[in-house]
Order: sequence, then C-alpha cells, then structure tokens
Amino acid sequence: MDKVHLLLLLSGALFSLGLLGVIVRRNALVMLMCMELMLNGVNLSLVTFSQQRGDAAGAVLVFLVFVVATVEIALAIPIVLLLVRFKRSMDIDRYSDLKG
Amino acid sequence: MGAVALLSAVLMLVLREPMRVALALITTMVMLGGIYGLLGVHFIAAFQVLIYVGAVMVFMVYVIMLLEVREAPGNRRYSRWLVPGVTAFATLVGVLGISVYRSSADVLTAPGAPPFSLTQFSTAFLSQYWLEFELTSVFLVAAIVAALAVIKVSRRVHGSAPGSANG
Amino acid sequence: MPHTLALIALLPLVGFLLNGFFATALGGHRANERVAAIVGCAFPIAAFALTIKAFLDLQAGGFTPIVEPLYRWALIGSSSFEIAFYFDRLSAIMTLVVTGVGSVIHIYSTGYMHHDKSFGRFFAYLNLFLFFMLLLVLGRSMLVLFVGWEGVGLASYLLIGFWFDDLTNAKAGRKAFITNRIGDAGFLLGMFLLYRAFGTLDMDTINGAFLTGSGAAMIVPASLVGLLLFVGATGKSAQIPLYVWLPDAMAGPTPVSALIHAATMVTAGVYLTARMSGIYMMAPEASQVIAVVGVLTAFFAATVALVQTDIKKVLAYSTVSQLGFMFLALGVGAYGVAIFHVVTHAFFKACLFLGAGSVIHALGGEQDIRKMGGLRTKIPLTFWTFAVATAAIAGIPGLAGFFSKDEILWYAFASAKGGAPWLWGMAALTALMTAFYMFRLLWLTFMGASRMSQEVEHHVHESPISMTGVLMLLALLSAGGGYIAIPHFLEAQIPLPPIVESLAHYEQTLLIVSIVLAFAGLGLAVFMFGGPASRPESIKQALLPVHRLLSGKYFIDELYDRVIVKPVAWFSEVVLLRGSDTLLLDGSLNGLASLAQRSAGLLSRAQTGSLHLYALLVMVGIVGALLWSWRHV
Repeated sequence: MDKVHLLLLLSGALFSLGLLGVIVRRNALVMLMCMELMLNGVNLSLVTFSQQRGDAAGAVLVFLVFVVATVEIALAIPIVLLLVRFKRSMDIDRYSDLKG
Repeated sequence: MGAVALLSAVLMLVLREPMRVALALITTMVMLGGIYGLLGVHFIAAFQVLIYVGAVMVFMVYVIMLLEVREAPGNRRYSRWLVPGVTAFATLVGVLGISVYRSSADVLTAPGAPPFSLTQFSTAFLSQYWLEFELTSVFLVAAIVAALAVIKVSRRVHGSAPGSANG
Repeated sequence: MPHTLALIALLPLVGFLLNGFFATALGGHRANERVAAIVGCAFPIAAFALTIKAFLDLQAGGFTPIVEPLYRWALIGSSSFEIAFYFDRLSAIMTLVVTGVGSVIHIYSTGYMHHDKSFGRFFAYLNLFLFFMLLLVLGRSMLVLFVGWEGVGLASYLLIGFWFDDLTNAKAGRKAFITNRIGDAGFLLGMFLLYRAFGTLDMDTINGAFLTGSGAAMIVPASLVGLLLFVGATGKSAQIPLYVWLPDAMAGPTPVSALIHAATMVTAGVYLTARMSGIYMMAPEASQVIAVVGVLTAFFAATVALVQTDIKKVLAYSTVSQLGFMFLALGVGAYGVAIFHVVTHAFFKACLFLGAGSVIHALGGEQDIRKMGGLRTKIPLTFWTFAVATAAIAGIPGLAGFFSKDEILWYAFASAKGGAPWLWGMAALTALMTAFYMFRLLWLTFMGASRMSQEVEHHVHESPISMTGVLMLLALLSAGGGYIAIPHFLEAQIPLPPIVESLAHYEQTLLIVSIVLAFAGLGLAVFMFGGPASRPESIKQALLPVHRLLSGKYFIDELYDRVIVKPVAWFSEVVLLRGSDTLLLDGSLNGLASLAQRSAGLLSRAQTGSLHLYALLVMVGIVGALLWSWRHV
C-alpha cells in the first residue's frame, strides 16, 4: 500500500463520512458542516492527483472548490437562519413542505 | 496525520453538540492542511487554513452560538435513516476501496521537491485556466448579490431590524 | 354570343347569391318583398330568354350540338376534368322546359308566398335549384351532371324543409336527401366503370362509342352500367324501391312541389337515361328491368292514389305513377317518347300542383279533400284550369297528355326492343286508374255540395293574378302542348325503336282502347262521386281491408323502418357510438390520461420531502455508478 493509495482511501473515507453525516444527523447546521467535510475529501483527492501527474489543473480546481465552498456557506447559513426563524426548530425532519 | 483527520471526522458524526462537531471539523481541516504541506503544495495548505478554518468555520461557529439558545434540548441525534445509511456507507467504502486497489499508480515524488510552485500555479491560473479564474470572480459577486437579497427578504418578512445574516 | 350556355346556368346562381345574402334578413318586410321578388324572377326569365336564343343558334347551325368549354376543374395525373356545356336537341328541350316552367313558377310564388316570413330565402333557394338543374341538363360530362344531380338534391332538401320550425317538415327533407344518396351510390359506381373504360366522362363521347361499337365499349358490361345508373335514377325519380321520399316531400310549399317534384328534378333520372341511350340500346337486360320497374311503379302508385285524401298526396302518387310511365317508355327503347311525356307532364302536373296551391290558398290552408267541395262557383279560374289539366293527364283526346301517353302505350305493346302485351296491359290499367282518381279528385274538390266548415267557406277567394295568370298559361300548354311533335324532333338524334311487324296493325285498335279507357275513368268517377255520398262509402265498406292497405300505402314506410332504419340506428347507437366511440376512443384517451395521473401519483410518493432520504439515495446512486464502472475493469 503506497502513499497514493492511502491518500485516496482517506479522501474517499472523508467523503463518505460526510455523506453519511448528511443522511444521519438531524441538526441543520451539522448537516452543513458535513457537506464541508465532503468538499474537503474531494479537495484531498484532487491535490493527490495533481501531485501525481505534475499538472497544475488539479490545483486550479482546488482553488475553485475553495471559492465554491465559501460561497455556499455564505448563502446556506442565512437560509438556514431564516428557515429556523419560521419553523422554530433546527430539526431537518420537520421540514417536509416539499412533500408529494 | 491522516489518521487524526479520519478520527476527527468520525467524531463529527458521533458528537451530540453542534459546537463540538464544529471543533472536530476544524481539527479535520487543520490536519488536511498539514497533509497538503507534507505533499509539498504549501500554498494550497495556506489557502486551506486561511479560507476554510479562518473564514468558513469561524462563520459556522458564530452561527451555532447564535442559534444555540433556541435549540430545544433533548433532541434526538440521529435521523430515521441511520441503519440504511450506515449500510450504504459501508458498501460505498468497500466499493471505493476496491476501486482504489484495482487502479495502478505511479510512485509519488519525494516530498520537499514540489512539482510546481506558486509562481507556476499563478501563471497557469491566469493564462491557461483563465476561465476558472473569471468564474471565481463571478461566484463571489453572485454570493454578495444573493446575500443582499436575503437581507431584503428578511427585512420584508420581519419588518424590523434584520438579523445578523451578514457574511 | 359566347358563353351563352354558361350564362344560362349562372344567372340563377347570381339571383341566389343576391337574395341569399341581402333579402333574407329583411324578408317578409313589404318593400323588400318586392325587391326579392324582382330579383328572384328576373334571373330565371333572363335565363329563359337566353335559352331561346341558344335554341335559335342551334337551329341555325343545323342542329349540330354546341359545345362550350368553360373551365378546367382539375388535372390529376394525366387525366383532366373539364367543366363544359353541351347543347343539342335533347338539352334544348330540357332547358326550355326547366327555364320556362321554372320562370312561371317563380312568378306564381310571388303570389303564393306573399307575407311568408322567409320570402327572400325562398326565392334564393329556388334560384339555387334552377342553377343546379341547369348544370344537370347542360353539362357535357357526367361529372358536371353529377354536380347538378347532387345540387338539386340539396336544393330539394332545403325547400322541402323550408318551414323547418315544424319537425315533420325537417324530417321529410332529410328523408328525401338520404334516399337520394342511396341511389347515388349506384350512380357513382356506374360512373366509375365508365371512366375506367373510357378515360373520360363526356357523355357524347361515351354514347358515340357505344353506338358505333368501338373498342372500349366492348369491354364495359353495358347492362351492369345501365343498371347502376338506373339505381341512381330510381332515387332521384322516385321509382321502386326508392320512391318513399316523394309523398313526404309534399311538406314543402306547393310551388316547390310543382317545380321540383313534378316538372323538373324528378325527371332528371329520365333525362339521364335518355341521354345515355347509347348504353341502353346495347343493354337489353337492363332495359327490360327498367321497363318492368317502371310499369310496376306506375301501377302500384296509381292504386295508392285511388284512396288518398290529401290533395297534394294524390298528386304526389300521381307523379310517381307518371314517372313510371316514362321509365316504361325508356325501357322499351322509346327514349324520345319518354322525353315527350316529360314535357307534357311538366305542363299539366305543374298546372295541377299550382292549382292545388291555389285551392289551399283559397281555403286558408286546408288540404283534406273530404273537407272541400262546391268550389267550382267560388273560384272558377282555378277550377277551369284544374279541369283542363286533369283532362290532359287522364288522356282525354286532343289534349297534351293523350298524345304522349298513347305513344307510350303503343310502344309498350309493339316495340321490337322489349315491348310485350302484359306491359301494355298493366299500363293500360294504370291509365284507367289515373283517369279515375284524377276525376275523383276534381269532383271531390270542386263539385257537389260544400263540405267545408262555415268559416273556411266564408273566406274563400280567388287567388291573385300572379297565381291565376300562371295557371292559365299552363292550362293552355297542357291543352296544346301535345302538338309539338317532340319524338320526331328528337328522332334525328335518338331513333325510335322499330315496331314488331306482326303487331303493327294493332295501332288503331289500341288508340281506340286508350280513348275508351279515358272516358271510362271519367264516367266511373262521376258515377261514384257525382251522386250521393253513400255510393263511395258502401264500396269502401265492402272492400275495407283493401282500402286499408291502400290508404296505408301498402305500409312500405313501416316496412322500411323496421327492416332497414331500425337496425341501422341500432348499429350506429350500440356498436359505433357506445362501442367504438365511447369505449375505444374516449376510453383509450381517458385511460391514457388516468394512467398518467395514477403513475404520477405513485411516483410522487418518492417525494417525501425528507432531505435525509435524498442524501441516502445519492449515496446509493454513487455506489451503483461505481459498480457499473467496474464493467470495464
């Protein structure tokens, strides 16, 4: 098992953990944080590949992901805030207005 | 370092309080930053810590503290999809692992000798990958505009001084 | 002048358009009645004038047929369909009758339809009818003839159901149209056969080919075509089995009955057969069928006319009967004689119908002859004209009907092309019956003591000059029309059949028999109805079952209804409407819609609104995608 494999495994594990967190946790903010975790996992694998191939494209994408993550947080949190104000609860399972 | 990252990630899922979850996430990110450094891409590591930990997580912590007060205690931690979720998770990890093993890989170059430097990266970013560069600017603008829109909505809806939804 | 023929046909069309668009909205209003009347009558009279001119042109040209192409209608592949007009001796006679009698009936209508609320519409329809009828008789190709054929059917429908507020009238119109269409199926088949063989539908070409026996004529089975065309004729000219619409058509205004159902439209079938005489001369089987059907129709209709009590119904069955005579003549090869009878019949039948209209007008709407009587002194003009026409139809010597009917009887007996004694026998019996029931009608309507109700009697008045003038003209023609020797005029174009040698000497005998029969009918009628009312009553009681059968018109309508109409209606309702339409079509459409709805309902259950579930599904999807990518590893 060499380094690349390990790193990739770690990246996959982080990503899966993040996704699992989205599935499993109830708190809206915690879900958001798990999504951040997913993004980090992706970043790791991107960096690994970029290093491996000596290609700057990976780094560029990493940068892009940073920006996307930032923007996402900047917008998702206000939305959650507003929602919480309406529903008076941070429990995702209570939000089923889109049902049907 | 990788192991610590993994551990804290698992902790994220297990901890009850959101505050503690945030701390675990910060740990994970810092560890990842370290990994990047070890890999030789220092500038990315710098970005990671700066942007993620410095801005994003600070924001999250701030919001958690803000909303903490309203949280009704005694909430259940996990959703009803726990069991299926974990099952799917195991499958996914297994599949990913097998995929990784099946793939061939070159030996990583020795750390300390970065294949590309910051200068190289910047030049590439501005010349060959200029589109992504522009995209980032657009994203940021969009974010600002959206944030303003959210403020407006919240003002209209609540009619009073808006909340603290400021990035 | 070029385009004379086209103008003859088109002028009434202009009248239709003018009256149709402008007069209807204001019809019934006094001032506009006059305008509508002038417009309505001017065009047919102009057409008549042009016809006379065309006839003179024809005569000047030595009677070579005038061909006048107008317009190429369609070019399909290599076959072209032209609209062209054709004027020879036969068309000349028919056109003169159509425009002449048509014009005077238009004039009559200005009086009869006075104060009717749809005055303008009436004249519009009448003009429309004239247009189509002229297309029919002037057309060169069977296609144009067929356009006219269908068109007069349409006009007939519109006019029978003219007072459509009464449902019975509308139903009568519909019955006429549908019965016609059934006959048209045969007509169309005949046309198809002809077209396939000749590549053209020009009647002169087809006729010529048959007469000279050239190539294509040999392939076509003449009898089959002849029979098919005759099926069309039975529909239009009210022969067995498609005559049932004509008595019901009496629901229309009387001028309509006179023009369409006596003088012109119903003779279209006779015209067609005479025009295609080339085919029939080569088709003895078809001719035989025509003759038999004709004589049977004549006999049968006359028996029904014996006991009818509505003045117009008597005349209607009389028309069917006389048409039978014409087909009898056609069947034995005497085409010119049949046309002769068409002309004389047009005169006296129109006179009779218009006279009946005058009576109905005088009595304020009464049509039952049992409630008439004694009108001779009250409306003398109507009476005398009616009497002349009755004598004509009965075959009193010297008047028009005598000449034409006698010729038919003679040829029925002695024609070498199918004449037979039994044909003559039935026809002679029918002639006797004709004389009888016509004089019965005359007596019951005009003679004897009055059986009218008091107030009707009080209002009896002679009709205006617009009506009586026409009556007088037609009566004159009924009297003198027989002296126009039409069969000989036509002989140059359509030869008369040869006479069986051995029978030639019977001509005088048969002539005398005809005269005897006519007077016998007259005498019998006077005997029955001139005396006390008990005489016809006692005869009726003695023969009650026969009487019932006859007044029920042999219950043919009821038979048709049960055997044909009801099954078809059942089929349409159950199989087609409920089965196919509702079940299949609507069902499949609604089924598709409800299928979409139900499946959407099912699928929407997946939208639980739960984010967790969605995320789980994402994970499952990723697993699936990865697994799928292993195919290539």
